[in-house]
Amino acid sequence: MEQTQQVKTTAVKGTDTAREVRALVKNIYKSAHEAKAQGKKVAYIMVASQYDEIIRAMDIVPLPTENYAGLCAAKRDMDRFLLKAEADGYSQVLCSYARIGLGFDSMRKELGRIPDGSPDGGMPVPDMMLGSSAVCDPRFKWFQAASRYLEAPTFGIDVVAPPPQDDLNEVRDYYIKYQREQLLALIEFLEKQTGKKMDKERLWEAIRLGDKAWQLWYDIDRLRVAVPCPMPSQDHFSIMVAGHYYTGTQVAVDFYQKLYDEVKYKVDHKIGVIADEKYRILYGGGLPPWHTLWIFNYFESFGAVFVIENVYRGFDPVEVPAQVKDPVDYLAWRTFLRFTRYHEKARARSGNPTVEKLLDMINDYKIDGVVFHACRSCRATTIGQTHMKSELGKYSDLPMMQLVSDMVDLRDYSEAQWKAQISAFIEALQGRGK
Amino acid sequence: MTAIKQIEELYGERGKRARELHDAGKKVIGYFCCFVPDEIITAFDMIPYRIQGSQNDPIDEADAFLEPMACPFARSCFNMALKGEYDFLDGFVAPHSCDTIERMYHIWQSNKPSPFNHMINVPHMMGPSSNAFYRKELDYFILRLENFSGKKLDKGKLRDAILLYNRRRALLRELYELRKSNPPRVSGTEITKVLVAGMGIPAAEHIDLVQAFIDEIKYRPELKADGLPRIFIWGNEIDDIAFIHLVEECGAHVVMDDLCTGTRFFWDDVPETDDPLDGLTTRYICTHCPRSLSPQEGLREEDLENRFGYMRKFISQWQANAVIFYIVRYCDTCELEGPDLREYLNNLKLPVLMIEDDYSTSTIGQLRTRIQAFLEMISTS
Repeated sequence: MEQTQQVKTTAVKGTDTAREVRALVKNIYKSAHEAKAQGKKVAYIMVASQYDEIIRAMDIVPLPTENYAGLCAAKRDMDRFLLKAEADGYSQVLCSYARIGLGFDSMRKELGRIPDGSPDGGMPVPDMMLGSSAVCDPRFKWFQAASRYLEAPTFGIDVVAPPPQDDLNEVRDYYIKYQREQLLALIEFLEKQTGKKMDKERLWEAIRLGDKAWQLWYDIDRLRVAVPCPMPSQDHFSIMVAGHYYTGTQVAVDFYQKLYDEVKYKVDHKIGVIADEKYRILYGGGLPPWHTLWIFNYFESFGAVFVIENVYRGFDPVEVPAQVKDPVDYLAWRTFLRFTRYHEKARARSGNPTVEKLLDMINDYKIDGVVFHACRSCRATTIGQTHMKSELGKYSDLPMMQLVSDMVDLRDYSEAQWKAQISAFIEALQGRGK
Repeated sequence: MTAIKQIEELYGERGKRARELHDAGKKVIGYFCCFVPDEIITAFDMIPYRIQGSQNDPIDEADAFLEPMACPFARSCFNMALKGEYDFLDGFVAPHSCDTIERMYHIWQSNKPSPFNHMINVPHMMGPSSNAFYRKELDYFILRLENFSGKKLDKGKLRDAILLYNRRRALLRELYELRKSNPPRVSGTEITKVLVAGMGIPAAEHIDLVQAFIDEIKYRPELKADGLPRIFIWGNEIDDIAFIHLVEECGAHVVMDDLCTGTRFFWDDVPETDDPLDGLTTRYICTHCPRSLSPQEGLREEDLENRFGYMRKFISQWQANAVIFYIVRYCDTCELEGPDLREYLNNLKLPVLMIEDDYSTSTIGQLRTRIQAFLEMISTS
C-alpha cells in the first residue's frame, strides 16, 4: 500500500522545553527496541492506568500503544494501519487508537518484521500486554483482541470510581480494597513474567518520583492562570508525554522542573504565547486532533489562546492519609482520591464532577470561551460533551463550540467546516466586547 | 384469548402493564442490561422493568443531549424517556456495563430524574476480588432501596424471588428446547415477542404466559423437516422482531442466540445459597457479555475456547449451521469481540455474517440483500 505523504500537522509551541518532547517520544520506542535486544521485558500499556510506578519498579519497559497511534496521526502515517484493521474485520467506528494498534500488529505479523517506514522505528513485539478499565472500555478489551496477532501474556486490571451520587463514606473502604486487590493481582502476574519479586522500597521510590513530577506539572498548570498565558494547550499535548509515559522516573521530574522554571520566567516577565492575547480559551474535553494540531495556531491568528485543557491532564495532587504505610495501599488510596476529587463539590451543586472542574477552570483561568472536540470513535471522552455544554450554560454565559472529527482518523475531519465554525466562534467572542 | 395473542399485545404495547401497576400504587424500577438482579427489586415488592428502545421511531429529541456516536439503542431509550414514555418509572437503575450506559446514566438522571436513581458499578475483570466488590455494590444498592422504600430487605422474600425467577428461567429454557426440532416448533420471531413481553411485566405473570404458550405449541401439528439453514444469532440488543423476522422471511430458522435480550439474561439459574446474595453475586457477575474480561487461559486456541466454548455447546445442541452477528453500532466491546468470535466459529467450520446496524427498522431493506446473499452462499456451499 502506498504510504500517505506527510504534511505539516504539528503546532508551533509556546515554550522551548516543549520542543524537547520530541526526543522523549523517540526515546520511548528506541528504549523498547533496545530492551528487547538486551533481553529486558517490554509491555504494551495503557496511559493513566494507575500502575505506572509498579511497572517502573519492576524494570519493565512501557510501550504505550495509544501514544503510538497519536504519533502515527501526527506523522500522517495512520491510514495504512487503520485500513489494515478494517480489512481484518474491525469496524470503522471502533476506537481509532485501537484500530491503528491492531492494524500495526497485524501488518507486523504478516510481514514478520516492523512495517517499512513506521514512525519512530515502530513498536517491537511486547513480552506482555497490560490493559485496564480506567477511562474506557477498549483499553481492557483491545489487548485481548491483539492476542490474535501476537503471543504475549495479557493481563487487565479494573480501575474503579464510584458515581458522584454515592455516599463516599459508605463505599470508600470497599472501593480501595478492590483497587488494592487488583494491583496486587497485577504484581503477582508481573512477578511471574519477570521471575523476580516486587521490591517495595523501589516501588516507594517510583511513587515518590511520580508524585513529585505530577506536583510540578500541577504547579506549572497553576502558573498558567497568568495573563498573558505563558504556555498554551498545544504545549500541554506535548509535555504530557513526561507525566504519562515517564511516570515514576527522574526523567519526568527533571523535565517538569525545567518546564516550571521556563513558565515561571515567562509569567514573571509577562511573556505570553502571542503578542496580543485577546481571548482565553478552555479546551473543554475530547481527545486532541493529533492529525491537525496546528489548528491551535490558527485560533491564535485571531488572538485566541488555549490556556488550559481538560484532557490528558495530570491528576491534581491528593493527600493520602499518613497511616497508609504500604506502597500498594498508597496507590489504591491515591487512585480513589484522584477519581473522586470533585465528587463532594458536585454533590453540593451541579451533580457533575467534570462540570465543577470546568467551572473552576473558567473562573481561575479567566476564560472567554470553551471549545470541545468530539471524536467520532471515542465514546469515553465525547459522550456527555453536549450535556456538559448545557450544564455549564446554567452557570456561565460564555460562548461554547464543539468541533467534530476524530483523534486520529482524518476521514472524519473537514478543514473547511472547522474554519467556518471557528469563524463564527470568534465572532461570538468579539460580540462580547473584548 | 390465546397466550400468543396476549404476548403479542404486551409486545405491541410495552409499558402498558407496568403503567397500570404504577397507577395502582406499585413502585416500578426501570433498569438496563443484564447486571441488575430482578430478584432484589422484587424482594422489595417493587416491579423490575427492563428498559427498551424503539427501533421503529426516529431518535429526534435525544440528540440535543447525547452525541450521535453513542450506542443508538441507548439513545433510543433516552429519546423515549424524554418524550415521557417512561414517566411511569419510580426508579432508574443503570449498571456500569459499558461507557455509553455509564455516561448516559448521568445525563438521564440529570434531565429526567426518577424518584430513585442509582448506578451499580460492575467489575469488568472476572475473579474472586471482583465477586467480592460486586457483592458490596449489591449491598449498597440494597441499602439505597431500603432508604427509598423505608423498609429493610427481607431475606426470606429474596429467597422466594430467586425461586420465582429460576422458575421463569427453567420455563424459558423449556421453550427454547422446542427450537431444537427440525423445523423448530417455535420461531425466532415468536421467541423474541415472548422475551420482550416479559421484560415489562411481573415475573409471576410472565411465567403463566410462557407456560400457557408452551402448552399451545404442544398442540401444533408436526411439520416435515425442511432443510432450511438453522441460524445462531450473536450480538447485543434485539428487542424488536424486525431483524429476526427478516432472517426467517429470507428462508432460514433462527434457532438459538447469545444476546442481551436472549439467553444472556435468563439461561443460568441463580444458585440457592445460604446467603441468597452469594448466589446472586455469582450468577449475575458471570453473565456472558463482551464487556467482561475473563483472565487469559493458555495460548490463543485455548483462550478462545474458554471465552466462547458455551456457544459451541449451544450451536451443537441446537444444530445451528450458520451464525449471524447483529451488533448495534458503536458498541466497542462487541466490535472488538466480533473478529475473535468469527475466527473461533470459522475454525468450527461455521459460516459467519457480521452485521453492524443502527438499531432501526429503516435499515431492513439494505439488510435483506445481505442476508439473502449469505443464505444463498450457505445453501450452495
